[in-house]
Amino acid sequence: MGKNKDMQELANLMTKALRHKIGSIANKDEFYANKYAKDAENIMKEAEKVLLRQNWNNYDKEKIKELLKKRLHKELEQKDFLDIKKFDIMDGEISKSLKKFDLM
Amino acid sequence: MIKFKKTVSKGSRFNQIYVPKNMENLIEVSDEVEVRLVKKHNVFYYSKCLSKLSEFKENLIKDVFSFLNENFNLGQIFIVGSFLTEKISYNDIDIVLTSEKSNSKFEEAAYSKLIEKFNLKFHILSINGKRFQNLLKICPLTKSMFSNFISNKPMKIPSERLIEQRHIKFLLMMPYDLLEIKLNSRAFFDNLRRLITIEKFLKNKNLSMADINGELKNLVENRLYAKIKNNEEIEENSINFLRNIMRTKLKIIESLIKNGKK
Repeated sequence: MGKNKDMQELANLMTKALRHKIGSIANKDEFYANKYAKDAENIMKEAEKVLLRQNWNNYDKEKIKELLKKRLHKELEQKDFLDIKKFDIMDGEISKSLKKFDLM
Repeated sequence: MIKFKKTVSKGSRFNQIYVPKNMENLIEVSDEVEVRLVKKHNVFYYSKCLSKLSEFKENLIKDVFSFLNENFNLGQIFIVGSFLTEKISYNDIDIVLTSEKSNSKFEEAAYSKLIEKFNLKFHILSINGKRFQNLLKICPLTKSMFSNFISNKPMKIPSERLIEQRHIKFLLMMPYDLLEIKLNSRAFFDNLRRLITIEKFLKNKNLSMADINGELKNLVENRLYAKIKNNEEIEENSINFLRNIMRTKLKIIESLIKNGKK
């Protein structure tokens, strides 16, 4: 699979994983918040598989960050059932996940 | 030291302990005594349709209730899930605790102590009592989870059902994602069951786990059912087949929410 396609897939999986994680934090009164945090972990594991397919240079890393920010913001906007706190949490969670994947 | 053991009995205004007749000269009116709890009397309550458990399981539950009561300040304790319905093929023992302070630290503390004491696999969820009452009305998964339970106190599950769109949409996030992304097969199993539960809730149908599993068994053939239940690898055409079922279910659910069917 090409690097660009992998990059798109990686950003897509990370977006979904972070949306679940942010949802579990923002809607923490949900009975199943912990379960959704686990959903996030499962998707992040899939993202990690894609991550390991390529060697990412600084340009790629910047591009992934950009894609992730843009897509996640859009997804969170669409998910109006998630508490508004979601936007306060977003940047911190993006940084954490990028650092974990050595993309920052 | 003079001592005796008695069971606390119910009084009209206060619960009471009587001094035995043969000790009336040893412990007299105005003497000062100390009362200490030696053994907690544990009773438990079965939900309506749940069959009686084996003696071993009942004793284990009694011990778990007793241990939790001694160590934590709890409102009510519930055992739910496959431990109650499956003879041997249950994954873990699901415990729901209601308490004033319910958070992940509390769950972790209860989990660690239970593991240390019983050396068994537990899964613990804690919830604030008031929030729990609300969830029993609005949450399909909670309603389904409590179709069978054993508790340390009597509990009537409200038949009232409220459709809260935000909550249902929160529950639909993962099934929608699975239409696009590929995760392990157990994720498909769990989310298909989730969709069946939500649809049944919106249609005001029975939410027992047996009914939900029964519908899933009807939708997918036995071999595939067993594979996804056991989180085994499945082929691409099976994933597509499961996604098609999910798409159909999502359409039905969206239309039921839109029409506000009650």
